[in-house]
Amino acid sequence: MAEKTAQKAQRTVGEETYEPGVPDGPQNWRHKLRDRDEMLRYLETGERYWFSDEWYGSEKRRTPA
Amino acid sequence: MAEMEERSVDGATNEMIEKATQDGVLTVFDRAENMRPCPIGAEGSCCKLCSMGPCRLPAPRRREETPEEKDNRRGVCGATIETIAARNFVRMVAAGTSAHSDHARTVVEAFIQAAKGEGSDFGILDEQKLLQVALDFGIEIAGRTSREIALELGEEALKEFGKPDGTLKFLERAPLRRQQVWEEQNSKPRAIDREVVECLHRTVMGVDLDYKHLFQQASRTALADGWGGSMLATELQDIMLGTPVPTTGKVNLGVLRHDAVNIVVHGHEPLLPEMLVVASQDKELRAAAAANGATGGINLSGICCSANEVLMRHGVPLAGNMLQQELAVVSGAVEAMVVDVQCIMQSLPKVADCYHTEVMTVSHKAKLPGAIHIEMDDAAPLAAAKEIVRRAIDNYPNRAQSKVNIPDHSVDLVAGFSHETIGYLLGGLFRASYKPLNENIINGRIRGVAGVVGCTNARVKHEDIHTQLVRELVKNDVLVIQTGCAAMACAKIGLMTPEAAHLHAGPGLAEVCETVGIPPVLHMGSCVDNSRILMAATAMVKEGGLGDDLSDLPVAGAAPEWMAEKAIAIGQYFVASGVYTVFGVTWPTVGSPEVTDWLMDEISESYGGKWAFEPDPIKMAKLMIDHIDEKRKALGLDEARERVLFDMEMRRDLDAV
Ligand code: SF4
Repeated sequence: MAEKTAQKAQRTVGEETYEPGVPDGPQNWRHKLRDRDEMLRYLETGERYWFSDEWYGSEKRRTPA
Repeated sequence: MAEMEERSVDGATNEMIEKATQDGVLTVFDRAENMRPCPIGAEGSCCKLCSMGPCRLPAPRRREETPEEKDNRRGVCGATIETIAARNFVRMVAAGTSAHSDHARTVVEAFIQAAKGEGSDFGILDEQKLLQVALDFGIEIAGRTSREIALELGEEALKEFGKPDGTLKFLERAPLRRQQVWEEQNSKPRAIDREVVECLHRTVMGVDLDYKHLFQQASRTALADGWGGSMLATELQDIMLGTPVPTTGKVNLGVLRHDAVNIVVHGHEPLLPEMLVVASQDKELRAAAAANGATGGINLSGICCSANEVLMRHGVPLAGNMLQQELAVVSGAVEAMVVDVQCIMQSLPKVADCYHTEVMTVSHKAKLPGAIHIEMDDAAPLAAAKEIVRRAIDNYPNRAQSKVNIPDHSVDLVAGFSHETIGYLLGGLFRASYKPLNENIINGRIRGVAGVVGCTNARVKHEDIHTQLVRELVKNDVLVIQTGCAAMACAKIGLMTPEAAHLHAGPGLAEVCETVGIPPVLHMGSCVDNSRILMAATAMVKEGGLGDDLSDLPVAGAAPEWMAEKAIAIGQYFVASGVYTVFGVTWPTVGSPEVTDWLMDEISESYGGKWAFEPDPIKMAKLMIDHIDEKRKALGLDEARERVLFDMEMRRDLDAV
């Protein structure tokens, strides 16, 4: 406990850069995908690690799949 | 009382244990104290595979075994202690895999019904994910309706359990290097059921007698769980019921209410709990509850993974984890305890005899003497859900106020961190990304990531190891992701709110969490949702900068208070996926030092991952952090972290001036 308090006292970064408390209700961001075009576009962006040819991260340097 | 308080770090649990004693009720905590574990079975040195046994072959106590003694430690059939320990372990993997995968089969069958639209209570709630999973399965989506795509997907998914050719589809989601490792080790699971059956066959008396070869099958079977059954369950549940998004909730027995009909749902499959959510909001049923004196209406809460499922999708409060199931009844305030499959204690009806609680079973797979069986239709459980709610309402007037004591303990949390939601929070809708996570690992603000999952276990102080371990990890800038009963333990001490970053995390992790607005400990769901952890880790590899394989990542896993065979299956699929995995409490192969050494060392030559056993939470944290640092060093990131810490130090010094 003493350790925790000491650590808190030392903190210098990031304080109050967020909103304290918990949000009201689910943040249903998936409802923002309104139609199939948007859903497929999301696949190439949001799920690009699996669905876009351009994005293979470290794997890009290896033999492509 | 002092002794009572030692059973758990959770006040609500201790209060209810004390109440149980006063009420003359025996619980798991008493039984664990009254019966010590069999020392021979605990170390994996007992074989009862045939009627020439059981053969009990304990290792010598407090001294090294001589080579002759080791060679003579054999069963009647000649099986060595290595074979016996390995067979016992492999059977645990098979049982664990069967549990997650039979859950998945139920979901797939309900999914097919939903796609057909015939007599189903479910539909397609997440069309985007439907398209995604359909494409994974190579299903044509152009010009087809959601139902058409879903029907074909359901039929293809069902084939994953018993198809005669090929390997599991979801293996292709893994990093390319990992797929190559599995290929080299001949560990790519074929069909899920086939791997479980082969485990059982190979461990029958006189079949596979080479322990390393047995573990090859254990890995293949466990991978059929993680990248097969569990992943199928998670993905199809998401399509049918919704992909989790950030959701608030509460945890602990204090979520039970004095003024409401309390229904507690316990077990693992989310189908009935989903319909209990619907039924508990039914106008007629709410009116009936009010007419019976329940002014607060109907209060649904949950235990175990049933609870995690409806928390993640609806914010339904968590009453507690596995060891708290009897204690919920002991509160005297529960009208109905509804159970389906897995982690259900047979003592529940006996505990309920002392109160007014009705214990109800619903699955065609699981009955419980003394409980009321209301069998649900997996595809259309609303009718059963309504009957359950009606019975609970009718039972409300039977609540004896003199026996009611709801502990005043409940804590807020934020849940719903699917791998998709993490990407969204880090990058936005069309920029969803793991880049900020990787960058902050590379620059050293975040040291690494730890998955802390699994059960609670009456052989150790309830939740003590979980909470000490996770506190230590976040204090050392390790981002923690959790599922199952482990998640509830840490939520109870407030680690799953955004404020926890400021209160508990090291400076680097706190800075990142506060910027993004997330807790330092992320709730990713139920035990089958450990597959979400596999996906998140794969996204980290594919994002780049942290190596080419899951085994390159500065990550570690733990199940500090494990007890179920399912945990062994989960651990084995993480090890076979390249992850360093630490278990606490006890280790099931200690009877064979050779097998234990192989699992904790040599196996990494094949898979990159390995096991460790450490019951002390601080030492466990150290093992995990050392491993993370080792991986950072291998990636050339050790200097970056030192630089960040040096900057922090300087900033603190400046601040103090
Ligand atoms: S299979 Fe062998 S070791 Fe096992 S019980 Fe039978 S004789 Fe004993």
